[in-house]
Amino acid sequence: MCHPLPRIVLSLAALLITAAVPLQAQQADTPPPSQETLPTADLLEGDAAEEEGGSAEQMAAPAPEPLMQMGSDWPYYGGDAQATRFSTLDQITPENVARLEPAFTYHTGDLPTGEAEGMYSPEVTPLKLGDDLLMCSAMNILISVDAATGEENWRFNPGVPNEAIPYGATCRGVTIYTDPEAAPDDLCATRVVQGTLDAKLVAVDAQTGAPCEAFGENGTVDLWQDLGERVPGWYAVTAPPTLARGILVTGAQVLDGQAEDAPSGVIRGYDAVTGELAWAWDLAAPEQNRHGPPEGETYTRGTPNMWTMGVADEELGYVYMPLGNSAVDYYGSNRSEAENEYATSLVAIDVTTGEEVWHFQTVRNDVWDYDLGSQPTLLDWQGRPAILLPSKQGDIYLLDRETGEPLTPVEELTGLPQGKIEPDYISDSQPVSAWHTLRKAPLTEKDMWGFTPIDQLWCRIQFRRAIYEGFYTPPSAERPWIQYPGYNGGSDWGSVAVDVERGVIVANYNDVPNYNQLIPRADADEVGLKPIDQVEQRAGAPEGAGDPQSGSPYAINVNAGWRNDVTGMPCTRPPYGGIRAIDLETGETLWDRPLGTARRNGPFGIPSMLPFDIGTPNNGGSVVTASGLVFIAAATDNLFRAIDIETGETLWSAELPAGGQANPITYEVDGQQYVMVTAMGHHFMESGVGDEVMAWALPAD
Amino acid sequence: MTNRDTLPSNLDARSRNGLVLVLGWVCILLGAVLAAGGVWLITLDGSLYYALAGAGLFATGVLLNHHRLAAVWLYLVVWVGTLGWAWWEVGADLWAQVPRLVAPTLILVLVLICIPALSRRR
Repeated sequence: MCHPLPRIVLSLAALLITAAVPLQAQQADTPPPSQETLPTADLLEGDAAEEEGGSAEQMAAPAPEPLMQMGSDWPYYGGDAQATRFSTLDQITPENVARLEPAFTYHTGDLPTGEAEGMYSPEVTPLKLGDDLLMCSAMNILISVDAATGEENWRFNPGVPNEAIPYGATCRGVTIYTDPEAAPDDLCATRVVQGTLDAKLVAVDAQTGAPCEAFGENGTVDLWQDLGERVPGWYAVTAPPTLARGILVTGAQVLDGQAEDAPSGVIRGYDAVTGELAWAWDLAAPEQNRHGPPEGETYTRGTPNMWTMGVADEELGYVYMPLGNSAVDYYGSNRSEAENEYATSLVAIDVTTGEEVWHFQTVRNDVWDYDLGSQPTLLDWQGRPAILLPSKQGDIYLLDRETGEPLTPVEELTGLPQGKIEPDYISDSQPVSAWHTLRKAPLTEKDMWGFTPIDQLWCRIQFRRAIYEGFYTPPSAERPWIQYPGYNGGSDWGSVAVDVERGVIVANYNDVPNYNQLIPRADADEVGLKPIDQVEQRAGAPEGAGDPQSGSPYAINVNAGWRNDVTGMPCTRPPYGGIRAIDLETGETLWDRPLGTARRNGPFGIPSMLPFDIGTPNNGGSVVTASGLVFIAAATDNLFRAIDIETGETLWSAELPAGGQANPITYEVDGQQYVMVTAMGHHFMESGVGDEVMAWALPAD
Repeated sequence: MTNRDTLPSNLDARSRNGLVLVLGWVCILLGAVLAAGGVWLITLDGSLYYALAGAGLFATGVLLNHHRLAAVWLYLVVWVGTLGWAWWEVGADLWAQVPRLVAPTLILVLVLICIPALSRRR
């Protein structure tokens, strides 16, 4: 009747004691330009000899390159280069979708072993180019599969060790790059690039899977370079690099909540052909570290990171990077000015120079872990080049792509509570989108839930005991506080799909609170919370026992999805997730419905088998087709479904062997349209484990 | 020889008496938990319902243990009150009604089954 709400494993019960790590000095000042920037200066002075010389390659400003067209393919993570997830294919229609049949199932063979048990969250979305599907597995095995038959063409295993898994083993996808100067038959003329959990960029030939030897060292670039001490699992890439003008741009997931002295959130651009560092954007030292930090130093540690998918405007030459929060999520008084300026912002970076163009901040002084997780989408909106940005708070913003100016109304919430922990740091005002938000009304005691009056009563007592002053209630230590929406969204990494022909945004979202409490350092030490670099053995997937937040005065304990500690059921009433259609012109809701049935969920983890739409938590986005269908899995009922974009009605569904917490795709081979989703489960969403890549198509008549 | 006509109803009566006792103690136990938690909730400025319903359930259990028909009337009052309160809180939201109505209605059915084993006098 209720669902096992994902419980984040914020950290390990086995993490033990740490003394406070000394506050780390942030490098905000700007020393003289480093050696690497000098050639550019030479160029400006018109030194022709230099231009022709050895440094010419460094100086050539990357020019726009042809975009891959979508048509029958799915060449980018978000479908097209704009990340609309809109396909013009229309063979499968609302009228015939009920006749879909399984076309093939491919098994990657990548299943957890040893300490990786309970840590798999693959979230994989394949790309389709020509006749091939190109993908990575949870542990970064690169694979090419025949898109019509599911037969494997090749695979390349970079050998990522289990200890590299950060929060979960995730590889959302790969990036395809075709070198415009290579002959079509050259090895690596078209290459597949991924970022790995052990922090490498790996490039292989799209035809054969052979490593691209000219890329880095034998096809590999080491991203640990200039980050400081290598601690496996602390710095991991889970998203495909963003490609613009032949530059691959990547950030990384820096494991949350460990310590202020964490690996840097630096964003780096690499030449897609050679793997050479083109630039680095270190938000706390952008000038000094543009071409790497000075000898013996590292990129600024503990800065907000970019763990999700960006998007690029090839013509403008900008990449748009959704930033997360600082390494310590729930305490901010000792963050640097630069961190406060950029955390939880969308940042536009000029890919030709590595310089920031603009940024747009969605939370001031974020102490709620409201990382921007959704890939933004490029659109033309009312004649303006726009970028659409969904947030975990549920707000949907439309910004000018060139300037970052909001195109739709942004309002200020004022007089917000500032709490007792750090009232000088907590902002008393926050921006919200007045154009559209997925956020629901604040919780009341009546919203408490359970299976019987007794567990409902227990949740009501907890509600009344907690500190809750609505949206943006600040953290507290003496009593728990309620954070609503929780850090799972709103909109998370699955992002939204945009039907550019009908002018409709399709957004799925979560609707769950978190029940949190700060733990004073002395108490955290007593129960033995310590960060990843000081733990000898990381346990598997433990109960959320707290993150150490070393270097700040408090550790943090999060009950994600606020579940009853006895029954495991959520303390709040359903729905826990939904999907809605939004008019792209006006921002008005066209329809809104719960997403996910109760079939797999029930008290004490017992499946209820109830086929009713209760609305479960969901992770993973949707695809929209020109024929008016929305395909989405995402929910914890492990169903893949087709929804009528006009009405919101489910027209077809299929059971998956494990959770479909991944973005689906659709493509065409030899006149046959396929829809595809990976069914690999998700540890946080408690949706099983699998290695299936599954395709459906209409039967041949 | 035993009387073939009375044997089944004797068994029936015996099992009904057993049900009354078990149900009586279940109501006392659940009523006590609800009442105690309900008082805690009231001290936190929360809903009055749980303390009241818990007291009603507790009293129903005591009456059941005494085989009093008044248990049925009292529980009907508790159940009708629950129905009204639940509607007032969340109306036609069926999922929200699950914790409010499912278990109390189940208890109502069990209490009604007990009627033949209860008496009007003490």
